Amino acid sequence: MMTTEAASQVYEDTWIPSACGMCYNQCGIRGHRIDGTLVKVEGNPDNPIGRGRLCARGLAGIQLLYDPHRVNRPLRRTNPEKAIGGDPGWQEIGWDEALDEITTRLKAVREEDPRGLYFAGTVISLAPLMHALGTFLPAFGTPNSFVSDGHHCGNAEHILARTLHASVTTNPDVAHCSYLLLFGCQAGLGTYYALTTMAQDVADARIRGMKVVAIDPFLGSAAEKADEWVPIKPGSDGALACAMLNLLLNEYELYDADYLRDHADGPYLLTEDGWYARDRESGRPLVWDANAAYARPFDATDLGTVALDGVYQVDGRPCRTVFRALREQVAKWTPEAAAEVTTVSAETIRKIAREFGEAASIGKTIVIDGQELPHRAASALYFKGAHGHDNAWSTSLAIELLNEVIGASNVPGGLLGTNPVCFGHPETGFPRWEPGADVDGLLEAGALLYNDPHGRSPGWPPPPTSAELPNLRDLVGWPITTCFTPAALNDHENFSFDHRPEVLINYGSNLLMSAARPEVCFEAFKDTFVICFNLHSDETAEALADIVLPDTSYLERLDPIPNFTRHHHPVGMGDWGHTIRQPMVEPLFERRHFSEVLLELGGRLGITEPMNLLTNHLYGLVAPHALAPDEQYTWREIADHAYKGWFGEERGLDWFEEQGVITWPKKVEEVYWKPFIHARAPLYNEWVKRSGEQVAKIAQERGMKGIDTEGFVPLPDWKPCRAWKPRDGYDLQAIYYRVPWHTFSMTYENPWLDEISRGEPYSYFVCINTATAHAKGIADGDPIEVEGVDGGTIRGRARLTQGVHPEVLAVANNGGHWAQGMPFARGKGVFFNQLLPMDLEHTDLVSLSMDCDARVRVQKVPEA
Amino acid sequence: MRLGMVIDLKRCIGCYGCQIACKAEHGTRPGTTYARVVKREWGVYPNVKKLSIPVLCMHCAEPPCVEVCPTGASQKRSEDGIVFVESDFCVGCRACVMSCPYGARYFQDEQRDYFDTGENEYEQALYAAHQAGVVEKCDFCRHRLEQGQEPACSANCMCKARIFGDLEDPNSEVSRLIREEGGFQLNPELGTDPSVYYLPPDR
Repeated sequence: MMTTEAASQVYEDTWIPSACGMCYNQCGIRGHRIDGTLVKVEGNPDNPIGRGRLCARGLAGIQLLYDPHRVNRPLRRTNPEKAIGGDPGWQEIGWDEALDEITTRLKAVREEDPRGLYFAGTVISLAPLMHALGTFLPAFGTPNSFVSDGHHCGNAEHILARTLHASVTTNPDVAHCSYLLLFGCQAGLGTYYALTTMAQDVADARIRGMKVVAIDPFLGSAAEKADEWVPIKPGSDGALACAMLNLLLNEYELYDADYLRDHADGPYLLTEDGWYARDRESGRPLVWDANAAYARPFDATDLGTVALDGVYQVDGRPCRTVFRALREQVAKWTPEAAAEVTTVSAETIRKIAREFGEAASIGKTIVIDGQELPHRAASALYFKGAHGHDNAWSTSLAIELLNEVIGASNVPGGLLGTNPVCFGHPETGFPRWEPGADVDGLLEAGALLYNDPHGRSPGWPPPPTSAELPNLRDLVGWPITTCFTPAALNDHENFSFDHRPEVLINYGSNLLMSAARPEVCFEAFKDTFVICFNLHSDETAEALADIVLPDTSYLERLDPIPNFTRHHHPVGMGDWGHTIRQPMVEPLFERRHFSEVLLELGGRLGITEPMNLLTNHLYGLVAPHALAPDEQYTWREIADHAYKGWFGEERGLDWFEEQGVITWPKKVEEVYWKPFIHARAPLYNEWVKRSGEQVAKIAQERGMKGIDTEGFVPLPDWKPCRAWKPRDGYDLQAIYYRVPWHTFSMTYENPWLDEISRGEPYSYFVCINTATAHAKGIADGDPIEVEGVDGGTIRGRARLTQGVHPEVLAVANNGGHWAQGMPFARGKGVFFNQLLPMDLEHTDLVSLSMDCDARVRVQKVPEA
Repeated sequence: MRLGMVIDLKRCIGCYGCQIACKAEHGTRPGTTYARVVKREWGVYPNVKKLSIPVLCMHCAEPPCVEVCPTGASQKRSEDGIVFVESDFCVGCRACVMSCPYGARYFQDEQRDYFDTGENEYEQALYAAHQAGVVEKCDFCRHRLEQGQEPACSANCMCKARIFGDLEDPNSEVSRLIREEGGFQLNPELGTDPSVYYLPPDR
């Protein structure tokens, strides 16, 4: 930072490096402050996350800082009647009064049963969320946390990113890719992880000649730029992927046999009832040694040629290899069969499958930084459009296996886990995480969310043990962004919970809008003491909150690791960048940082000691930088400990405040780690099959209804999602899509971003195919009503377009705010989630993904 | 020297980053967008295309706006061809707004703020530079050029779709791209000879 004293009236002219917080990507930014006022936010060229280029949202963040409608002081409800859209009768109170009351409530809950404290958070404010999840909540003693918009996140994708890529998310290595297949995803072309960096890399790759094929019901920003747009019926992507697998494996024979044999479980033998055939003595999975003509443990030291394909007799019983099982599993998915459910022609399916398989350049290698590596120049990537359905697990698995069968997984040109290997800063060797192999030889991720000093976090996935937690952590504990809590609370008799939510801390999330239709979350928490810690008095606060606490925006607060480095960091070669988020201005009015308030609450509740120990675990702090258990630290002191622990005594908080980011070059062994770490990718998901049986058993023992475990399949297949099936004259499917200038519903309050949407033709309308609209007598601009077969009605104006599947209505993001506290956002855009119920029936239990589309009908209505 | 810009329609994803990069750089009032994006759609499902076309002042070599300006407020810089408005000379007659075929000029009549609650701290600081009753437009960020920086929109573009440089230098990146990648101007038939070129989306 630099402060200048000029002859003019300017007494301060400063640039401050920090991290963005307008979406979950947390790109590097810098802010220009003159005389105490922030006058500009732009990308920080020194930061590898964004490399100085920023999206519209990040550039517009300054209007969040100075939004006159922000909550600036604690508020207390005076109207005891809680209601959706009701007036809470806010009364401003002081912080002491607010925290006194909260402390009293929390003390009572903790004495009675700490599980009475519930917590909801949002992934946008990732660092404070992680601090709460990692320290305050376990120290308090409650497991009852959830992410309010979790099912709109990558639930199924995150699971497979872990099992196949040792990470939380994935991104394609576009620098070496020549064919990018996008299933309901807009990586580098509008949304998705590391957008600002990926946009640069994807643009470069496309100029170089990388072909993009976008499979999507809506001609959104990725499909607009794609070389080929393949419109598909929502929820059927899995069938398309199964047909492509069938073509690659059974017809074209375009697959990477070496990869599947040596780096996946392709040769593992399966018993007839679908378990790995195991060695009687060691319990290790068996493979077929073709030289010895005998089944032997996969890790036997003197194995001969291992058979990838075939059926072999083991102990007198026929055992297929996993590879053979996969071939047989997808055989029924002929292109013609897939065409019927996807509406994509068989000819197109054949063409895409062949192009994808041929682009992979199976057998070819490339030299990067002196290392000869496999070069598989094709990637299949997917996100919400594909897996936002109640067939999410199987769909995601089918798409992931496209990369696996061509060997395009964690090698140049293929799909990369987002930075699952880090050897740490060259001077300290920290932070460090790396995957390895478990006892079955399968991939086990390194530490993903925590900076464990050992870099590993074994013991995943957790086995189903019970059904006593509303977030289902004890039943299906592996989806990261668990979201089911409100629906489970409403179904509490079925689940037979022995406690109720006494207090809810709702941090940064707008439950009522972000989960499903507002009634779901309202019902779940209407009798709970609700504390909303947020930027605005939003729909959730006005309906449910007893106390609202004014949060700092990302431009007013300190977060030592805003992005936990790996998830949203760009993939591929380049630099590591470890960033600070720091206040560009001191918190305005009486706004306070959530993490600081939790430290104070921890002190008031007498849980400072466990919080300090958990903080050491969260940040991987060891002596001499570990926190002392019994000392009350400030947030700045904790940040200083963390930085010094990772980067050395001379690089504490002061250093980061000055420099903003520390960078060092990535190593080729970190980026393209697959050839260097011998751990097999599981094509066959024995753990899912086992978990399904355990879940079914628990449900039966407890007499639970609606627990459908049919989806717990070890290999991919396709079944329709609920909204896919036409029902009772409801002839259309409604979907939402995402635009590059809005984040969920939160940015609808930003006037610069609103100005974009008002000038853009589609995003504040309901998009309907022109021919479909004409058949229904709907003209462009007509007011229309969209009614869901499972309840919920939304209104909007029709935008007739040729760029949407004829059986689909498409809505951008999730708008239509109604809170008094967000007057600017009110009524803008369309409130899509009104169409979504939230219950077991619409949920894929393997991944806790919900059907995020709806079976609907549409009609023109009179002008309001 | 003739400063100009190449906008690569293949790279551009229509994210509106340029519109907000410009907004953030200049702190303009509501409705004023020196840089903006036009969206077009054509064809019949499923053979349909969409295209995003970022537009800004074309900094024409033959600018009709300069020609019609009665006070000399609208000018073209002789040294580099930048077309700009000298606000102190502008009387707000709006002849230039009418004459510009690219819709690149914005008359500052309503002194609105964005939230309609009175100017916030940021707006108070930034709107001071914007006079009422005058016409405003893109000036290729003259203040940044003086500091050796490129215009805010091209510096920020996250697809690197906007390239800025000297059209008269045959070795510049803009000249090379126009020559080798089929650069074209918008509405060449009007004879305005824009200094903003586009590269085709499909190539």
